[in-house]
Amino acid sequence: MYIIGENIHIISPKVKDALRAKDASFFQELAIKQAEAGASCLDLNLGPRKKDWEEVFPWMVKTVEAVSDLPLCFDSTNLLGIEAGLKSVTKAQPIINSTSAEAERLANVPPLAKKYNARLIALTMGKSGIPVSADERVNIALEILIPRALELDFPISDLIIDPLVLTVSGCQEYCPELIEAVRTIQYAWDPPPPISVGLSNVSNAVPHKNRPIINQVYCAMLMGAGLNMMIADPLDQGLMETIRILEERDESSNAGQLYLKIHDRVAAMEEPQFEDVDMSDPEQAAIWKTVQILYNKVIYADSYLEQAAV
Amino acid sequence: MPIEIPKDKWPGSVREITLGATAADGGTRTSTVTVGGEKALPYMHFEAQMPHKPVIALEIRDRLPDDWSTLLLEHWGDTAKDPAAWAKAAEATGVELLQLTLSLTDADGNPNTPENAVAVVKSVLAATGLPLLVFGTGQAEMDNVLLVAVAEATQGERLVLGICEDKNYRTIVAAAMANGHLVNGRTPMDVNLSKQLNILISDMGLPMDRILMDPTTGALGYGIEYGFSVMERLRMAALQGDSMTQQPMLVTPGFEAWKTKESKVGKDVPAEWGDWLKRAIHWETMTATALIESGADIVVLRHPESVKRIRVAIDELSAVPEMA
Repeated sequence: MYIIGENIHIISPKVKDALRAKDASFFQELAIKQAEAGASCLDLNLGPRKKDWEEVFPWMVKTVEAVSDLPLCFDSTNLLGIEAGLKSVTKAQPIINSTSAEAERLANVPPLAKKYNARLIALTMGKSGIPVSADERVNIALEILIPRALELDFPISDLIIDPLVLTVSGCQEYCPELIEAVRTIQYAWDPPPPISVGLSNVSNAVPHKNRPIINQVYCAMLMGAGLNMMIADPLDQGLMETIRILEERDESSNAGQLYLKIHDRVAAMEEPQFEDVDMSDPEQAAIWKTVQILYNKVIYADSYLEQAAV
Repeated sequence: MPIEIPKDKWPGSVREITLGATAADGGTRTSTVTVGGEKALPYMHFEAQMPHKPVIALEIRDRLPDDWSTLLLEHWGDTAKDPAAWAKAAEATGVELLQLTLSLTDADGNPNTPENAVAVVKSVLAATGLPLLVFGTGQAEMDNVLLVAVAEATQGERLVLGICEDKNYRTIVAAAMANGHLVNGRTPMDVNLSKQLNILISDMGLPMDRILMDPTTGALGYGIEYGFSVMERLRMAALQGDSMTQQPMLVTPGFEAWKTKESKVGKDVPAEWGDWLKRAIHWETMTATALIESGADIVVLRHPESVKRIRVAIDELSAVPEMA
């Protein structure tokens, strides 16, 4: 699993404060911690920085590159800021996060990626928003995003399609569709374009204590559908352990066996079955209930884990 | 060649809930109303018979409302100045239930009091034998004071106390639990929140057969399609066996429709909108009909003409056609 570490994100108050104070060591520690935990790339979400982009983006690149060789992922709506960052990169091939299928973004962002030999995350989102159905999302990739890359002679291996994870709390009907979108986009080109998602979006607006299990179960389902790249928190040990179990096919724990079954069922285009689960094991029961909400079989509620399984 | 009609067989069903209690059960109502019990989607008679038709409630107030359309005030006239008289007149329209909404203040702007709320509820209970829903003002602190007093003063009546919301449900639920009443939970057009509120209320220990849910619906032209979808989704989950969505649904098309401009305003609107009263009744009726078709068990209306029309709609929808 190629993990784009998400922890340098302006939404975190600590990051915000450190950025205001230009606390280089804070960012260097966070970069090292993520790299040591298994991140393959570091996302830099600094917000738009409308006033100080010229200074902030290069400063961040210099700060992080001083301690890490990992590729950097520029996560901003401010193209001038991204370009300032790209110009400062001296190490690995960076990523731009992101373009959508909207005409204006598509006109401006891919040429920038081309010019600086950056990879590009492209969202399957047009001007009318994010479609629910898997087919419509695949069509956006097939009919808009990939043709635009071809038009610029931009390598499809550098075009990372993001079919967009939405939260189970409020956008539940999107959750199963995303799994199928991940599966199908792999057939959109030969060789398949890379696919990445923002995993933790699936548990946005979910009470804090339930976020890890939802993220982990969804991760197993998406890996079953063929996902091998995502923006996620590499410091989330539960998530990293789930990924390890799936990658090494470690059957030594009961929960691990269930995660593998879920993964394999999805890979075989089947749905996980009740008989796969030992409901007397609370951990497995919780995983099963989570599968049910992520497949939109049972309506999500904040207390869904406390309810009897359906 | 005979055509075989595909039939769904659902594993779950909606809970049956009885509103009101007669003397035999510790109340003073002359009749009770049972709703719910559906085993199929609305009016799919060929799949499963509906054990109970949807029922109609009329909304009355504890005093002459300040914010109602003049069309409604003209219709009710002086009756609306006396809750007991209003209740009698409402009962005469043939509805099965009454919803009494308490006001935040009296006519002079002084805050409502528990003593007044209790007196009004008792006068309404004395004036009519119908089961009663008592809804608060919509302001949490005031509702908790008024509804607790009402609940205690009417122990055993199986009133429906409303409105429980996720920010304010504990006091009302506790009062219902201690005094043999039911509650109505309202959530803002969101299946997740509807289910969660049912869970929270039942976690307090109130039996599930004393909880109604109002998923909030919007009016015709004002988001009713979202309301419709939410109700449909909740009902399908109930039939699929999701225990925390199996509550009968109470909806308030009277409240929703009469706050739209089309119903509320008669002046300075385009001439092609036509007759004001006709339009307003259509608005309430169309809103209520759509909600009945999406699975509503209780519709709360405001105009007696709408009651008549919705009665016809319910009877026609509920008539089981002869299968060839």
